[in-house]
Amino acid sequence: MKSRMKRILAGLTALVIATSIWLPCLHLVFARPLSDFRLDPGVSPKARQLAARHLRLWTDPALRQQELNKMRASNAEWDFMGRGYLVWSLANLSLRDPAAKPLYLRTMDEIIAETLRLEKEQGMYFFLMSYARDRHYLMQPAHSLFLDGEIALMLAARRAVEEKPEYKPLLTERVNAMVERFKKSPRLLLESYPDEGWTFDHCVALDAIKMADYLDGSDHAALIRDWLAMAKQKLVDRESGLLISSFATDGTPLAGPEGSSIWMVAHSLQLLDEDFARDQYQRARKELGKITLGFGYAHEWPKSWQGEANIDSGPIIPGFEISAGSSGMAFIGASTFDDGKFLAALAATLDFAGFPSRTGGRLKYCASNQVGDAALLYAATLGPLWQKVRTGGKP
Amino acid sequence: MIKLFRQRRAAFQRAEFLSVRDLLQRAGAITVLFLIVQLAGLREFTSVLNGTIGSVAVGWKLSAFLAVIYILLYLAFVILVPVLVLAATLLTIWQRFCRKEEKSSR
Repeated sequence: MKSRMKRILAGLTALVIATSIWLPCLHLVFARPLSDFRLDPGVSPKARQLAARHLRLWTDPALRQQELNKMRASNAEWDFMGRGYLVWSLANLSLRDPAAKPLYLRTMDEIIAETLRLEKEQGMYFFLMSYARDRHYLMQPAHSLFLDGEIALMLAARRAVEEKPEYKPLLTERVNAMVERFKKSPRLLLESYPDEGWTFDHCVALDAIKMADYLDGSDHAALIRDWLAMAKQKLVDRESGLLISSFATDGTPLAGPEGSSIWMVAHSLQLLDEDFARDQYQRARKELGKITLGFGYAHEWPKSWQGEANIDSGPIIPGFEISAGSSGMAFIGASTFDDGKFLAALAATLDFAGFPSRTGGRLKYCASNQVGDAALLYAATLGPLWQKVRTGGKP
Repeated sequence: MIKLFRQRRAAFQRAEFLSVRDLLQRAGAITVLFLIVQLAGLREFTSVLNGTIGSVAVGWKLSAFLAVIYILLYLAFVILVPVLVLAATLLTIWQRFCRKEEKSSR
């Protein structure tokens, strides 16, 4: 009996010591040099592999449909956003790797053409969640800033890489329509869903407007300035100082600051107001970004805000309160603001818990989906497009 | 031949709880189970982590079930197996040290 107790005690002690040795070392198994994820200048190995997988999806209709069906079973928005992130990534890749530009441009054109066709044939509700049909849009005719902004940014990104005359009127028409609706809105808040606006969609739409100014010589600086002033005054959560995610058109907050939005918002703001963008990133990093035992991840809400898991946050892993949505989007924030430490820690988590799967030089993350992988590709490639617009490089 | 068979059989026999062999047997069992789910392609179902169905044909419930099985075995493989092997190594070193101590005290 005594020897049995002694053996169990020795075993337990060994387990405790082994755990305390292994856990702090675990991240070393998954840690890679930052250049594996993001390389400046050039294209990182991961970006190449992720891009190869997405290009395959656009050359294999059956495979693409299979992926889209899986995403659309949960959220039709993801089908649309996956297209946006991929087009923006390919624009950056074209600027990073001019030799591959023809292939990237061809794919961008294919995505844009199909997206415009689906929007025309099926209507805007095709890319929206079903609750968009539950109520009427307050501003008529009904438009979703979510769709208009991202499509406009797709067109603008394509044109910023290389002019395509057919896209010029399409971009101008969409930008003019958005600007007209901003002018009609007393609070400069437009709907993505009936009486529901999103900061994310406003920032993307304003990026598209800014890019249209860059491409076509128009001037919407006053609108952008006014919107930013309004946002700083009305859309900032007092406790955290972070922009809230969604609101009614009268400015009433609907959802507070959210990780699944704020990282991309900070990135989008970089084109509009560098200081405000950096401030939002630093606040988000402090309130939401975490590194534990070498693994990076992000919360969906700051401590001062109580929220419930939703389609954007993804399931919240209890204990550490890890949000898959926020952690994925955090790559975009960290990459935008050159936060190498956080980005490397996030990349370690991705290889640990994202379940990478490589086939023939193509990479996908099984724990992700097409839109998630496209957002990661965007994080791995972003930079050159914004840089070109900000420095006024030749369109 | 018979000796080899006995040795192999001994490796699968139930070992004393928390003994070196017990720890290694558990690590081995987890490794085998993980290899089975890995080869069976259950990794694909982990997309439920972001709210995406693993397979439209299989449906939500079964996709989630398969994902949970895979994730638990994966975590056991990358966290528990090294801990068990490390603990077994520590125990072996400890036991050898104790034996030496006993011998020298005699």
